[in-house]
Amino acid sequence: MLEAAIEILLKTVVILALPLGALPLIIHVERRGAAFMQKRLGPNRVGPFGLLQPLADVAKFMFKEEVHPTHVRPFFYTAAPMVALIVALLPLACIPVAGPIEAFGRTIYPEVFRSDMGIFFAFAVSALGSYGILLAGWASNNKYSMLGALRACAQMVSYELSLSTSVVAMIFLFGTNDIHVMVQAQSGYWLGFIPQWGVFYQPIAAMLFLVGIFAESNRLPFDLAEGESEIVAGYHLEYSSMKFALFFMAEYIHMIALSALFIILFFGGYGILPGMEGLASKSPYLLMLLQVVSLIIKIACMIWFFVWVRWTLPRFRYDQLMNLGWERLLPLGIANLIVTVLFVYFRNQ
Amino acid sequence: MAVDIMLTILTVVFALMVVFSKKTVVAAFSLLMTLLMIAMIYFQLGTVFISAVQVLINAGAIAILFVFVMMLINLEQFTNNREKSKWKLIVSTVTILVLLGVFALVINNNIETLSVMNLADNSMKTLFAKLFDVYYLPFEMATVLLLAAIVACIVITSHEKHEVAEELAAAKSEDKV
Repeated sequence: MLEAAIEILLKTVVILALPLGALPLIIHVERRGAAFMQKRLGPNRVGPFGLLQPLADVAKFMFKEEVHPTHVRPFFYTAAPMVALIVALLPLACIPVAGPIEAFGRTIYPEVFRSDMGIFFAFAVSALGSYGILLAGWASNNKYSMLGALRACAQMVSYELSLSTSVVAMIFLFGTNDIHVMVQAQSGYWLGFIPQWGVFYQPIAAMLFLVGIFAESNRLPFDLAEGESEIVAGYHLEYSSMKFALFFMAEYIHMIALSALFIILFFGGYGILPGMEGLASKSPYLLMLLQVVSLIIKIACMIWFFVWVRWTLPRFRYDQLMNLGWERLLPLGIANLIVTVLFVYFRNQ
Repeated sequence: MAVDIMLTILTVVFALMVVFSKKTVVAAFSLLMTLLMIAMIYFQLGTVFISAVQVLINAGAIAILFVFVMMLINLEQFTNNREKSKWKLIVSTVTILVLLGVFALVINNNIETLSVMNLADNSMKTLFAKLFDVYYLPFEMATVLLLAAIVACIVITSHEKHEVAEELAAAKSEDKV
């Protein structure tokens, strides 16, 4: 009993520490990446290569005066950032950072919540993501915040549909909801060097999911919730200092969690990258380490992709966004789902 | 056990808040919390699938539409409508009687309900095997009910649209005169 409690506690600490610890680095990459694409230098004064800039930002957020506007609804105003962060952290609970390992006389699964419904659970809890934003917009009692929140919420609900169709297609294809089985199914190679990743089975689903991540995490080109030129800053307009930082963190953690799910479904999850097999076969512990490293490398690539797209594409107009979601992606997703289901049905015959 | 009791109490408290809170948005969020608490009870019983479905559909999609609409039309000026009417009393009495009747029927005839406990082994397969086999008729009836609700919605809104168009036309003709 005590052992199990300690195990859960350790896993929770690790799964919280990894993304929260990576946040400053990601923000640094984002700013330097932006500078790189705009032929600027970016923050390079604090510490080597400006690496300590995020720390300075954190210090600033912590010690800044917290402005509490008088016209807000106090309870919901305070609750909104917390809800946003907690909900963003929830899907991380069932994302494994490595494969199951035999240690201390039993099999240890490196995820906080082990279930054969892992992927389903993760999507269920990430569907709650819009509540924090909606609450913030409403509690701020401000037209711009309200508009931003409504935009964000409508957008998240709309794109969740096409995203779900792609997830369901992958669940049908693998015939399971278990993340470990999914990763196992993607571990082989074609012709000895092309990894059997989900993206090669289901390119359309992968594309739908990728677009869905951008819309779900409210990032450019879909960051209409924050459209500075129209609605100032959207739902977090009235928030300052640490409360604002919580929204900021929630957005990035949501991004990490969705990237991890994307990698699990389409890029082999924690499966080791091609070329690591020789090293991995030496010891199971080394294999586990390589799996963690592979997952981190894959997520890092995804984050770089996010930064890349952010500074490449301009913002969509709202009607374009809705048309794309409902008239293009959703029918495409449903068609893809039908074809996949037929394929799986006849394959299993 | 303590967790079960706590969850049950919280569910009831939030459900009461849905009915009795003065502000509609607070009521909507209480509804959301009720749904989440029910999901947690399912989770506590070991049926992860049903719990996830509850979160995904009820809390993640339906409650969010409630909250969305309430915020969109800013319902704050309408507090919970408390006017007394005899119809309210009659309808609620009939509803309670019908519910009690169904409850009594289930208990008396010992009808096999979809007990969540025996789904814990392999939830998804067991659940859907039962849903499309033993409970096929109720399942289909529920879908028909939903269809009826959708049709009703379309009828109501299209009717209103029609009226609005007529009013607009009337206003225009008045303007011209």
